[in-house]
Amino acid sequence: MSRKLAVIPEECSGCKMCELVCAIKHFGVNNPKKSAIRVLITYPHPVVRMPVVCSQCKKAPCEDVCPVDAISRRDGVVRLDTGLCISCFHCVESCPFGAIYAHDECEYPIKCDLCGGDPECVKHCPKGALRMVPEYALGESKRLNNVLSYSQMKEIEFVEKGEVQTLRYAEIGKEQS
Amino acid sequence: MSIKSGYFHKQLHVDLTTGTVERRDLPEDLIERYIGGRGFGAKLVWENLKANDFKIDPLGPGNLLVIAPGPLTGCYVPSSGKNSFISISPATGLYGDSSIGGGFGVELRQSGHDCLSITGAAPELSILFIDDGDVSILPMPFLKGKTCLEAEGLIEKKLGTHALHVATIGVAGENRVRFACVNSDWSRNAGRTGIGAIMGSKNLKAIAVRGTKDLPVFDMNGLAEETRKAIKYMTDHKYFRLWQQQGLMNVIEYANTKGILPTYNFKATTFAAHDKINGETMLEGGYKIGDSACFMCPMCCGNICLVKNGKYAGTVTEGPEYESCAMLGSNLGIERFDAVLAGNRLCDELGIDTISTGSIIGAVIEGYEKGIISLSDLDGKGITWNDDDAILELMGRIARREGIGDILADGSLAIIKQWPEMQKVLLQVKGLEQSAYDSRVGTSMGLAYATSDIGAHHTRAWTIAKEIEEGAAWSAEDKVNLVMYHQAVRPLFDMLGVCRLPWIELGLSERHYEKFYGYVTGNQMTLEELLKLSDDVYNLTRRMNMRLGATRKEDSLPYKVTNAPVLTGPNAGKTLNKQEFERMLSLYYEKRGWDQNGAPPPEVEASF
Repeated sequence: MSRKLAVIPEECSGCKMCELVCAIKHFGVNNPKKSAIRVLITYPHPVVRMPVVCSQCKKAPCEDVCPVDAISRRDGVVRLDTGLCISCFHCVESCPFGAIYAHDECEYPIKCDLCGGDPECVKHCPKGALRMVPEYALGESKRLNNVLSYSQMKEIEFVEKGEVQTLRYAEIGKEQS
Repeated sequence: MSIKSGYFHKQLHVDLTTGTVERRDLPEDLIERYIGGRGFGAKLVWENLKANDFKIDPLGPGNLLVIAPGPLTGCYVPSSGKNSFISISPATGLYGDSSIGGGFGVELRQSGHDCLSITGAAPELSILFIDDGDVSILPMPFLKGKTCLEAEGLIEKKLGTHALHVATIGVAGENRVRFACVNSDWSRNAGRTGIGAIMGSKNLKAIAVRGTKDLPVFDMNGLAEETRKAIKYMTDHKYFRLWQQQGLMNVIEYANTKGILPTYNFKATTFAAHDKINGETMLEGGYKIGDSACFMCPMCCGNICLVKNGKYAGTVTEGPEYESCAMLGSNLGIERFDAVLAGNRLCDELGIDTISTGSIIGAVIEGYEKGIISLSDLDGKGITWNDDDAILELMGRIARREGIGDILADGSLAIIKQWPEMQKVLLQVKGLEQSAYDSRVGTSMGLAYATSDIGAHHTRAWTIAKEIEEGAAWSAEDKVNLVMYHQAVRPLFDMLGVCRLPWIELGLSERHYEKFYGYVTGNQMTLEELLKLSDDVYNLTRRMNMRLGATRKEDSLPYKVTNAPVLTGPNAGKTLNKQEFERMLSLYYEKRGWDQNGAPPPEVEASF
């Protein structure tokens, strides 16, 4: 089963803990500017806080653009082989999400490798804004929210164990009058 | 033991008059003794004072402004996004500092500097741009009159990158309003002691920083292990979720219940409409649209709010937090949350401190009510409680120094000079307006305000929760001990460059911090040894204040605290007993080893 790193921007607080734990894991240094994930913040118009990280695309533009075939996708991860990489940084520019990074002191592009399937950023995000989810579950919360916001929902109140509860339901076959 | 890591050993010194930039070495003994943040600031400001024979105009070019993160700032340590601004305050004429969260301090350290000091004044409105090792002073006269938020956006555009942090002043700072603040990351503020006015006096609209260097850490694995333990403790805490949801807004309900919520300029300490401006209203009323955190902070106490309808529709603000909400809400009798948000946003735009602004406007309303300030003083524009239109309008006049705003902009001491009777109405110590915890509930908070080196602010000691918990049985000696302990441990966080909220709000043990410090610097010190260093800095700022003319008389309480009984709530009828306070002050001096005038022994000065 293929699992994807899902980003939930609505939950992100912009604390950048993901950046720091990523840099510590991959470079062993205290430097959020050496991470493969970055939180972008725009404010006040529009108000967005969003971690930007590799989507491990199945048809990856970075793989296509690499002139020496240093990028290839195996086991659901788009990997950069630093043995082959010539540091032209074409991959950084080709990524439609800007999710591959460069740093003056680093010879190669900085790219997410999903930490072998158990990403540090997911483990340490204090808001649960980063999650590993099965590929089939992508978009599930949006689907659910969409269903719950169905406008013709009705409500009844009932008593369960002495407490008043509300039940919502959609009446089938009747148009809203 | 000695320092093995954790520092770049570099102080960036900028003289705006001559346009020179110098990278000075920070000597080992200075680093070891003063740690960083407020410690570095106090030491460098002290040196500058000595060099100027203790004659410094806070708004003159000779006043040194120090901007200092600490050795833990930006490190893998919980809530490590703190940075201090230190100088001689234009509000008090004495030592002043204010700290800011967010990411500015992290970026400053990553540029390879342990602290930044600024002197002189630029010939025209400029910004300082620190791009790793490249430092430039860039004239940007087009920023004149721009709000903090506008300026931050324009600077990013001009410098052509989003990947930097900017600390800026608003029109209030340009106009040298003595409670102008420095705004960074759009709405984080170094609010107190008028640091924004100092930047304004130096024609320095903003400081932009981009830093990419590794932060030196002695033992990364040890640090990571310790931090994971600390974060686990925090996230497991029963109030952790509440913090994430409400941040400091949960304190409104607490303060109202306990009778310490400033209401109608501290006439009362409970607010009938408290439920219209509390954390529940923020959430249930649909105002909150997102969380905001400082660097490396799981608690994310920042609330991003949006007013969706009504006359303030479209107002986005990061905040309010407790102080802003109380001082711009209940203290002004404001009964609608959208008006509090609008006030908070306006203060951020103008670049004025929400605490001082709320306090001064509250006093103006009461002064007008009592006939001390006349309608013509107010330029014919009457003002009363809950009058949000007039209140917001007055904020603008203060920042722009229009009409009465020109006097109010000079702060409490100038207001008392203009209308001596306002002394009975304004709540201030040493010229700094009191923050949002009433101190008539008990003497320890009064002692905390009176003996704080920057004036009536809770940053040095916040003993009120303990005071309420212990009640009347709490002994004077225990109170003094707790105030003194707070005055050592709380500034220690400002020296290390981290936030104190994990400790004070979630009870994260201070012991973690000796380990954090040890892992980062390689210098194994006990908490007690670190507290001793913090106490030394307290002695230094005290000595500095005495040299600048402060005496025991300045360690006094606002008139209201000792003379005006609380009108409502559980503390109705209470004032603080002046004799009891003076006895405690004497005991406090004695325990600190100061004389009865509050002066540390002369040999203390010699050691600095």
